[in-house]
Parts: sequence; C-alpha cells; structure tokens
Amino acid sequence: MTDTAHAPPASVVELLRVLQFGDSVLPVGAFSFSGGLESAVQTGLVHDRETLHQFVRTATRQAATGDGIALVHVHRAACVNDLPTVLAIDRTVFNRKLNEEVRTMTTRMGRKLAELCEHVRPGPLMTGWLAAIRAGDTPGTYPVGQALAFAGLGLGEHDAFAAHQYGVASMLTSAALRLMRLNHLDAQTILFDVSAAAAADHADIHDAALDDMQTFAPEAEIAAAIHLQARVRMFMG
Amino acid sequence: MSLFGDAARSVPRELAAYLDEPPQLATGSPGKNGYLRLGFERRGAKTVLADLDRRAPLLVQQALYWDEAMPGLPCVYMISNAGGVLQGDRNRVEIRLGPDAQAHVTTQSATKIHEMDHNHAVQDQQIVLGEGSYLEYLPEATIPHRHSRYLTRTSIEIAPSATLLYAEILAAGRKHYRDGEIFAYDVFSSLVTAARPGSEPVADRELFTEKFVIEPARQPLAVAGTMGPYHVFGNVLLLTPPEQAAAVAARLPAGRDDSRACIAAASRLPNEAGLVYKVLGMETQPVRAMVRRFWEVARPIVTGCEVPPEFAWR
Repeated sequence: MTDTAHAPPASVVELLRVLQFGDSVLPVGAFSFSGGLESAVQTGLVHDRETLHQFVRTATRQAATGDGIALVHVHRAACVNDLPTVLAIDRTVFNRKLNEEVRTMTTRMGRKLAELCEHVRPGPLMTGWLAAIRAGDTPGTYPVGQALAFAGLGLGEHDAFAAHQYGVASMLTSAALRLMRLNHLDAQTILFDVSAAAAADHADIHDAALDDMQTFAPEAEIAAAIHLQARVRMFMG
Repeated sequence: MSLFGDAARSVPRELAAYLDEPPQLATGSPGKNGYLRLGFERRGAKTVLADLDRRAPLLVQQALYWDEAMPGLPCVYMISNAGGVLQGDRNRVEIRLGPDAQAHVTTQSATKIHEMDHNHAVQDQQIVLGEGSYLEYLPEATIPHRHSRYLTRTSIEIAPSATLLYAEILAAGRKHYRDGEIFAYDVFSSLVTAARPGSEPVADRELFTEKFVIEPARQPLAVAGTMGPYHVFGNVLLLTPPEQAAAVAARLPAGRDDSRACIAAASRLPNEAGLVYKVLGMETQPVRAMVRRFWEVARPIVTGCEVPPEFAWR
C-alpha cells in the first residue's frame, strides 16, 4: 500500500531545486567576486549601512534591466529547445559588458555553472551550450547559464529571475561582510529589503525585448574598473 | 515583436509615454528635422571636408585648420540655430571619414535640451570610419532641462585600423537656474553601438553596445553605485587598435584625480574594440578637464601629435 497523502508533491522538490541552484554557496565562484564593492569601499564610495544598501539596490536594478531581460528570453528559448537563439543572446549579453572585470566574472561563473549542471544533471541544451563555450563559439555568460539550468530542471521563469536577483544581492552582501564594518543581521536586513523590489523589477522587464537591455551605474562601473588596476585585492572582481 | 525588438518601432519603450504631438510645429517638420552630413577625404598632407549637406536647425559653415600640431586636420563646429533641442525635434548627423582621413568635430557650445510638455526629441548619429582614419568627436556638454525627454542613438562602423575618440558629458540640468535643476529631466536615453564594416549580419560584426536609460523620477540617481554624490557624467570611448589602447590605458591613472573633484577609470572594451573611460564629478569643468587629459594621452599615441593648448575663451 502506498501512502499518497504523504508523498512529497512535486512542488517541494521544485522548491529544493530553486534553493540549491539559487544558493549563494553554489560552487560557481560567486564568493571570489565583489562586483566592484571592494574598490567602492576602498575609495569611500560605500562607507556605511545606508550606502551599502544603495549600492546593492543599484546592482539588483541593473541586473534586472540588463541581464534579467536576457535571462527571461533564454528561458523562453530553452523551453522550445532553440540553441541558436540562446547563442545569439549570449553574444548580446557579452557585448553589453563594457567592463573587462564584469566580463571575466560573468564568463567564469557561466562556464562553471554549465560544468556543474553537466555533472549533476546533464541536459541536451546545456550540453550543447557547454560544447559551444569550449569550442570558443560563444562567450558563456552567467545569466544565460542560469536560465538554461532552471529551464532544464523544469523550473519557471519567475524562479530563474528570483535566483538571478538573489545571486547578485547575496554576492554583494557576503562580500561586504568581509570588506567593511557590518554585522550579519544588518547584512540580512539589506538582503531582505532589496529582495522586496524584485517583483516590481520583473513586472518592468518581463515584456521587454533584448534591445531594451540597459544599465546605468557609472559609479559602480568606475569602481570595478579601478579594481582591475589595484595591486592588492582580496577579490577577483 | 521580434526577440530583439520591433525594427519598425520608431521609439524604444522608455518613450512610449511621450508621443503626443506638440501644439507648436509638428514633430519632425521643417525646422525640426535637422540634418548634417559631413564627408572627409584625405588629399595629400591634409584632409578636406569634401562632402557637406545641412538642413536647419543644424549647421556647419566650413572646416577650419587651427590645430597647430596637426595643420592638416579640419576642425568643424556643429552649430544649432534653434538655440538647443526642442520637443518634437528629429535630428540626424552623419560623419564619414575616407581612408587615412583625419578630422576634429565639436559643437560651438553646450547642447541645451529644453523643457518639454509634449513629445520628445531625438538625435540619431551615424559615424563611418575607413581604414587608417582618425576622428575626434568631442562635443561640449549636454544639459537636459526640466521634464526634457531625449533619445540619442549612435551607430559606429569602424575599420580595424581606424581610431575614434568620442566623448559625451552629461550635466545634471540647469544646476544654477532658479532653485537649481538637478536630475529634473524625465528621460535621457542613450544607445551607442559599434561594428566592423562587412557584408555579414551586423550581429556578427558587432564590437559592443552600450545603452543607458536615465529616468530620475523612477530610479533615484543620487545613490551609491549610480551617480553617488556626483552630478556630472563623462563617458569617453576610444576605439583604436589593441596595442594603442593598451598604451593609452597604461598611462591613465585610475581613481580620484589630484584635486579629488572627480573619480574616473578606464576599462578595455569587448572584442578588442578599445577603451571606455568613465568620469564622475560635481561640476562640468573638472569632468571636461579629465576628458581633455584623456585626449592629451590618446592623441600622441595614435597620431604622434600633441593636443594644442586650450583656447583662452573656451
């Protein structure tokens, strides 16, 4: 006799997949990047809880209106097994990363995520994307990888978008704990508050075309560019 | 709508709220559809303005040769006889340099984007640079007034051996007008995209694309990561072969300038297209000085010639 009443519904497993692939300790190397925060702290642009909150929110807004648009389009392409469109979007994302350090971060994490998925749960589209990365035919950016991973696991666009936004915010808040005077509870408060904007951000971008991808964060971009030239650094980016 | 957006869509989504017709002259009507076409050709030791077409309110008179370090360099002032950019304006600028041509293009004054209560204004720009050519496109600052809505789209086609130095300075507004207008405009949307020449689809030739949309009422600017405490944004592109880009990058200090009035840094563009150099400062003049310093580093490396001293009246 089977006890169907106590069988875990699919949604529990789905939630666990979201937790695993949205986890900040997913070994794709997020911990070695600070998203420009290291030099923003060193130059005093970020110096307290409030400016950190602003910096993290700027980053999540840019993540939504930039990579987030690519992410939802890759997710839709993946749902219809359209690898050529995925590759075209990958190139589009890369060509819009004017900062060298940001390109290093996104391609390193993208490739690591592809390799992780290949090991944990291979799927044809991710395999094809990883092969194109290895052949040098596509840059392999992280939001493309995230969308492919989530679509491959049968998880929805909202889930992919949420993990994407959370990944940016959690990378910055965990880097901040190592870079400035900040207690863990305040870091969690910032993460919590910033996450509240994700629904409105998704509403803003869910019907945007790829040509609408845009970012405006000159201070963060200057911080990231200063970082690349710094001699002593804790983070790669 | 296609994946990349509808090619037939004449305005991007950030301007969808600003399509109502002005009660004055109709959108894009004569006087509101400025056009400039500048074609430069190399003739021996000097470059000439071989092709010039113009339509009000945009105007160019003639090429001047005032650059003592580069006596063969035509210097062209783009003039507007409208006193600035008005609602419903649809302007277009085309600049072409033939092989080995050199040119310097600037504006006579800051570009004022006037206050708007209907519609929006557009400036489209196309820049085409042939092999070995060299263009300095260094307009004065842009000042977006209260409730202005402005769309600028620049398409660059550049041969691998050519160089483009392109700088934009965006002020916060009429900072010292009445109570001060700081980030009081509605929309400032800027798109710059660069590609190599060729017959393949443009996506295969693309070097980079930068699009930013600033809507101060929707997203605050005076926050860390965006404008921080600063008011003026300078954005410099140096598209040049990789060895020259590396030489320029090596001579540029990153971080705060000596007077601590500005913060700036350069980064290498994707696909070995060159450098992007971003500057933030409180006032236009210090940012302009940083852009000029970049120019003073870049020009000798690319052309072997120094930048002449600044005119006392500029």
